[in-house]
Amino acid sequence: MALFITKRLLMALATVLVVAVLAFLLVHAMPGSPGAVSLGAGASEEAIDEVNQRLGWNDPLLLQFVSWLGAAVQGDLGISLIDGRSVSADLASRLPVTASLAAGATLLSAVLGIALGVTAAVRGGTVDRIIGGVAGMAVALPAFWIGIIFVYLLAVQSSVFPATGYVPFEVSPQDWALSLALPVITLAVGGGAFIARQTRASMLEALQQEHIRTLRATATPTWKILYIHALRYASLPIVAGIALQFIQLFGGSVIAEQLFAMPGLGQAVQNSVSTHDAPSVQGVVVIATVVVVAVNLVLELATKFLDPKLRAS
Amino acid sequence: MIPNVAPAPADSAEPTAAAVLPKAPRQSAAKKFSGSKLFASPASIAGVIWLAALVVASLTAPLWLPFKTEDQDFTAVLSGPTAAHWLGTDELGRDLLSRIFASAAGTLGTSMITVIVAVGLGTLLAMLAAAAGERVETVISRVTEIMMSLPGTVIILAVIGAVGTNIPLIMGILGVLISAGIYRVMLGQAKSLQSQLYIDAAKVDGVSTAGISLRHVLPGLTNTIVVQAALIFAVGMLIQAGLAFIGFGPPIPQPSWGGMIQGASQHVYDAPWLMVPTGAVLALTVLAANAIGNALGKAPNATASHLPSAAARRQRGKAVAAIAATAPASQDVAKNTLSVRNLSVGVDSVGAGKGVRLVTDVSFDVEPGTVLGLVGESGCGKTMTALSLLGLLPSGVSVTGGQILWNGKNLAAATEKDMEGIRGRGIALISQEPMRALDPMFTVGYQLTGTVRRLRGIGRADAKAEALGLLEKVGIVDAARILKTYPHQISGGMAQRVAIALALAGRPRLLVADEPTTALDVTVQAEILSLLRSLVKDTGMSVVMVTHDLGVVADLCDQVAVMYAGEVVENGRTDSILDNPRHPYTLALLAADPHANHGADMPERLATISGQVPQPKDWPSTCRFAARCQFAGSACLVPIPLLPSGTGDGVVRCVKADELAVEGLDWLATDVPSHHILNLVEAPAAATRTAEKDPA
Repeated sequence: MALFITKRLLMALATVLVVAVLAFLLVHAMPGSPGAVSLGAGASEEAIDEVNQRLGWNDPLLLQFVSWLGAAVQGDLGISLIDGRSVSADLASRLPVTASLAAGATLLSAVLGIALGVTAAVRGGTVDRIIGGVAGMAVALPAFWIGIIFVYLLAVQSSVFPATGYVPFEVSPQDWALSLALPVITLAVGGGAFIARQTRASMLEALQQEHIRTLRATATPTWKILYIHALRYASLPIVAGIALQFIQLFGGSVIAEQLFAMPGLGQAVQNSVSTHDAPSVQGVVVIATVVVVAVNLVLELATKFLDPKLRAS
Repeated sequence: MIPNVAPAPADSAEPTAAAVLPKAPRQSAAKKFSGSKLFASPASIAGVIWLAALVVASLTAPLWLPFKTEDQDFTAVLSGPTAAHWLGTDELGRDLLSRIFASAAGTLGTSMITVIVAVGLGTLLAMLAAAAGERVETVISRVTEIMMSLPGTVIILAVIGAVGTNIPLIMGILGVLISAGIYRVMLGQAKSLQSQLYIDAAKVDGVSTAGISLRHVLPGLTNTIVVQAALIFAVGMLIQAGLAFIGFGPPIPQPSWGGMIQGASQHVYDAPWLMVPTGAVLALTVLAANAIGNALGKAPNATASHLPSAAARRQRGKAVAAIAATAPASQDVAKNTLSVRNLSVGVDSVGAGKGVRLVTDVSFDVEPGTVLGLVGESGCGKTMTALSLLGLLPSGVSVTGGQILWNGKNLAAATEKDMEGIRGRGIALISQEPMRALDPMFTVGYQLTGTVRRLRGIGRADAKAEALGLLEKVGIVDAARILKTYPHQISGGMAQRVAIALALAGRPRLLVADEPTTALDVTVQAEILSLLRSLVKDTGMSVVMVTHDLGVVADLCDQVAVMYAGEVVENGRTDSILDNPRHPYTLALLAADPHANHGADMPERLATISGQVPQPKDWPSTCRFAARCQFAGSACLVPIPLLPSGTGDGVVRCVKADELAVEGLDWLATDVPSHHILNLVEAPAAATRTAEKDPA
């Protein structure tokens, strides 16, 4: 077990490092030097050179990367070229937004998806066909379009929820929840549909296992076969599906953040890409990777815990 | 925003009865692309039509579009559908219909770039990993693992930062990211194709690795490639539109679907209609691609469920009620005697293979304390007969007639609730594969103790003691340790003992054993058989033993019912049937069994039964064995009744039984299929197979 965790940790570290290099190279391929970007149009050659010199832009690439990495390990991701603020501080304030959005959407997707998927598999017939049809539609609808429709129905037509904006939890937990509601519901439509399909397929597979027949032959009540034994068997792929969904939603939040004007990581990457703010882009890429890799790691441990075969070995 | 495509949950069909029908021999493991699947579902037909129409409409757009994309009509700004603007106009009075279709070609075309890169690269990597061996595979798998654990959206945005909104290039890079998922989907299939025997043959013939991959592996992957291509096409479109929505689309004022939806989102308050046309076209196109992918990816025959869905159970409830209504008043049978009368089992009249009979008119009795053997080749309906005794027929198959009489009840017409009272307590089951019969997720102790508590209604502590006792009773020495283990931690023989203990938990009076030793080692087989024998002696319960092994029959059974093609062809006391078989099929089974031929009279070569058991749908109304019978004649081409065989209460279904007995004919060891000799019935060309070997 310890060996397994060590191996996985090393793998995760390697992934983050690869991405850090990748992000560094991409950022260097961006048009415009940092000096040009930060001083804006109309700055003199000398002023630009002076800024570039100060930021170490003219140093060898390897040296730049190592010094960036050294600072990054200590939590310093540099300063924004646009507003001169610390990238770390900026991202630290944005991470909770995206995290609550992604976590909330994943949670809602999981609850909806498992309930619908299990129902479809267990009930069969017309119920199954209706759920299948709805899920098929839901995965095909673009999130941003669904979002607009929700805004129209729930914020414009009947002002149940605020249409846009984000209220931090510390300010007002109730308003925080309300401000998250629409984006979370929007993202959960596709996510829930995905998990519903995964759950249905896994449940059906579980019910095809021969031990289900043994359980019936020993007069196990149907509810127990379905919700204890079959669901337990199906739990591994379902958990994997949920983790996948989190990764997707974490990255995909950029659309919800744009649509609902939320100051999250997605908005940060969108802004900094548009403005060629190299340190910010690099920072977001690395932070997003760290989160995603960490979730993957947790998933693997969860799977290992859920599967008796893996747990024992 | 970037969906990882790894475990695309197949939109699998409701398990159908076709899954439980004996399958025709499979030609090849390769899943070839078949167009007929594409046109089997209305959704995919609609999908194909929509995509084709969209492509044609967008390519010919300049010829028919009513407006140029940039034409502004300030008299109709943000209008709904009108005669002049069929789908309305945007905030600058531009015609939506024109803008949607003018930008369609670009959207579809660039999405194809993602498809080609992702599926091409993924397939190539999978074929390479499958062909080049484990080390290459490990390296590729590691790299793709890293690729799949990246936050794709963020990376794509960073790429946009570096290269600008060069859509074709972005979509290509997106394809590279997605190819990791495709590789994962393809790898297993490519590896299984690579391990086929004909690939080995090709290698021996000196075909190069690349040649094998292209000529033999790639064709087998075509269906998966098309399925994935359709699904990735949809993904590509969604992502492209998403990028345009957040401002990384084609430069303004060029129209794009995502950009148009972004525009619409600015007017939710004053012109909600604006979001409808573009969103609907995008959604329909994605739906179309998904429908095509799902139709092609649908597994043809899902395995039958062991717990039918609620809808299927309702259906079955109705069928059972119908049988109960028509069944004659159940006759009295002695306590704990099982009496099966004219039992028929058939495929439900929905789905594939509708109405096919799997068991016809089967009758037998099992007295308390005796063992009945159900013998025959695979596909003769033995297991179906056995499972019907517990009401555990798989989904899509049900009892269509006859009676199963047990302690005053007709089980063929019993409700699911009644059956729950009988399963485990009155009639118990042990199945063929002990490892698969136990729930891998729970310990032996959990499964056994829970079952004991349920079936006996006793407390936790008592149940635990009882569970220990049961395990000792089935010959497990360190019962306390076994209770704590998971099924995968014990051997097959041990698992079968545990399965028997489970079956005994409710002190059943009848045990249905479906080939309980087939999956076990020979030495373990003997142990399990002797355990069963002593259990019968100690508990006085009776056993229905499904087997194809005449040795087991001789060892354990008091009565034998020989089944062929869904009917009983001979039934009687074991000793009289083994010593003096009356039906040619019994004769042939014995002649083909090396164990049944003792010492001196062991023939030089064992007999075979040419041909194979016909598919249930091909069972004739005449003698079903005639096509394979060495003694068949014109008299056999009529329906044959089951008649007394003359020894005891034995019965036999053969017009020539008496003639055979008088002449003392033997089943001959010959390779010539009988129908060639007799030229009687056209039978499917046959691979000769011994009756003794019984591939499950």
